Amino acid sequence: MIELTHFQVLGAALFAIGLYGVLARRSAVLILMSIELMLSAVNINLIGYAAFVDFTEAQRSLGQVLIIFVITIAAAELALAIAIILRLYRNRSTVNADEINLMKF
Amino acid sequence: MGEANAIGINAAWVIPALSASAFFLIIVLNRVLGYVFPGSRVPSFVAPVISIGAMLAGFVLFWVVLVDLLQNGPGTFSIAWLTVGETEIQWGVLIDKLSVVMIGLVTFIALLVQIYSIGYMKGDPRFGWYFAAHALFAGAMLALVLADNLLFLYVAWELVGLGSYLLIGFWWEKRSAAQAAKKAFITTRIGDVGLLIGIILLFRATGSFDISTIFHVAASGGIGSVTLNTATALIFLGAMGKSAQFPFHVWLPDAMEGPTPVSALIHAATMVTAGVFLVARMLPLFELAPDVMMAVAITGLVTFVFAGTLALVMTDIKRVLAYSTISHLGLMMLSLGAGALAATLFHLVAHGVSKALLFLGAGSVMHGSDGETDARKMGGLRAKMPITAVTFIIGAAGLAGLPPLAGFFSKDEVLLGVWADLNPAFLVVALFGVFLSALYMARVVLLVFFGPLNPEREGAHESPPVMWVPLAILAVLALGVGFLAFNYTTDYQGFAGFMSSGHHFEVTGWLMGLSIAITLGAFAGAWLAYSRNTISHAALAARFPVIYKVLVNKYYIDEAYQWVIDHVVLVIARAVALFDRVVINDTGVDGLAISVRLSAMRTRVIQTGYLYTYGAAMVFGVVGLALIWWIFLT
Repeated sequence: MIELTHFQVLGAALFAIGLYGVLARRSAVLILMSIELMLSAVNINLIGYAAFVDFTEAQRSLGQVLIIFVITIAAAELALAIAIILRLYRNRSTVNADEINLMKF
Repeated sequence: MGEANAIGINAAWVIPALSASAFFLIIVLNRVLGYVFPGSRVPSFVAPVISIGAMLAGFVLFWVVLVDLLQNGPGTFSIAWLTVGETEIQWGVLIDKLSVVMIGLVTFIALLVQIYSIGYMKGDPRFGWYFAAHALFAGAMLALVLADNLLFLYVAWELVGLGSYLLIGFWWEKRSAAQAAKKAFITTRIGDVGLLIGIILLFRATGSFDISTIFHVAASGGIGSVTLNTATALIFLGAMGKSAQFPFHVWLPDAMEGPTPVSALIHAATMVTAGVFLVARMLPLFELAPDVMMAVAITGLVTFVFAGTLALVMTDIKRVLAYSTISHLGLMMLSLGAGALAATLFHLVAHGVSKALLFLGAGSVMHGSDGETDARKMGGLRAKMPITAVTFIIGAAGLAGLPPLAGFFSKDEVLLGVWADLNPAFLVVALFGVFLSALYMARVVLLVFFGPLNPEREGAHESPPVMWVPLAILAVLALGVGFLAFNYTTDYQGFAGFMSSGHHFEVTGWLMGLSIAITLGAFAGAWLAYSRNTISHAALAARFPVIYKVLVNKYYIDEAYQWVIDHVVLVIARAVALFDRVVINDTGVDGLAISVRLSAMRTRVIQTGYLYTYGAAMVFGVVGLALIWWIFLT
């Protein structure tokens, strides 16, 4: 029997993996993927609550709107970030985040 | 007239606008065309044609406005300028008899001076610019006399100052000319600050810049007596600066550094009359402040006599004329202090015509004698330049007050006004001033035009027609303007009746006789001293060396100002500069900048430039905040 706790554990695990990826990875593409993982973790959390908590109709639709927003923003962000990374690669022949340090003092 | 003839008072604003546009047009033609079509040159006749055309149109419009004024009475015409809060400020013209007389005088004198300048300024490298600045100067003065509110008047007032600066310093390559321009500008600025504060005080008290509104409020007692006294005194300070009243007179003699036609314009029509006009315009306000009126009269009287004594010892003919202008402006102020508006204005016109004539005549003398201005190096010039001599003598006689010239009648009316309104002591001192006035005019005429021909002046010659024709016109006018004083028909009750109906020209036998006697006595004295040498002026100077030295050094007023500037103004300025450099700049501005830079050097090491540092900081920050929330708020 799947319960709310399973969703929560899955969400927390995904979020932690994503956070680790953002902090530890050097490649900009992998950092981007990790961010996507964190966003998905948030969505899974919301789905779990929607399935197991007895919300009113109005509250439920609010949650759905929130998820739609998260997905939309994730898609837009990805498109933009990929474009930036591509330009970066053209100019500097690398997507290693540590080597992108022009603005550092 | 009304609807049938639409051009009248409502067209008065065109008069200054024409001159102002002439200024811009000449500059555009002379400067911009040179850049657009490199190598091209605008023919030199273009600039004078534009500015004289504008002035001529202004002079024609003056008659239109005058006719409209006589038929329909005074009027105003204004457009909205800007709205500040509840206050609407307007560009407006006010046509009454005062402003119309001034317009007539300014346009006429400026027109003649500009025509004369064609000859005088011929061949000058900045010929076009001269006429542009001339148009600006005259246009500003016209706007000044037309203004119906004090703010507009102040704008025009400053523009007049700018015009005088540009023209006095016209030959700025000459150091003395540049310095004279600066002196004129700064000296008059001291008064201008007073004027501005006075205007602000009046605005605070009445909530309006409009002159007639201010009069209305003041007449109904809406302005407290302290405010009224302060405001009028400050406005008079402005007038003192522009009209070169003692002790602000120092700039006017130095202003001779400009081209002579400019001096004629400044002295006769545009600059120095602005102060007299301002007091005349605000006279209803001054009349509510009798103490200030008394101060105006005393300042005028002091200036009248003081400048007269100086004119007596100057050897430079232009300087003699300059001090004579200061002196007569003093007489006008004295007359205003006595409340005699019509007499003041009449003297202003009479003096303006005579003085323009004298300056243009002096310019003609200089033109014919290689730019020499020292009267001692002239003599006997009447044979070499007869037209100049005759016209100059007419001007001098008019200024000295010889009947039946304009100066005689106007001076007499002023003296009558003084006699009627002020203490008899004023009249006695004023009569002494009249004596001086006749004496120095006779002296300068005798030194320059009579006696044996000075050997240095063998090459002297008469000026070209473009220069002596304006002289002749002015001479005819100087001969004729005096007759405006009389009553001819019931419609024209003399000049006094024109200014305010009910008044008329008065003749007081004893005063007239006395002033004629004084004038003739002065002429005789001058003749004995400077022509026959019966009374040796050199011996007089030797007998009273101290007095002579004080006079020649202009009462040491310039030296006193220099001392004050050196020992007070500059010392304070240096202290202020030191404070500015050490406290404001080094400690305040630079100190702040240095402290920011030092703290930045300390803090920038935490910016590693690695993404994971920032990410970790964010994560720990969020976790920390969550913990705080959890521990303290739940």
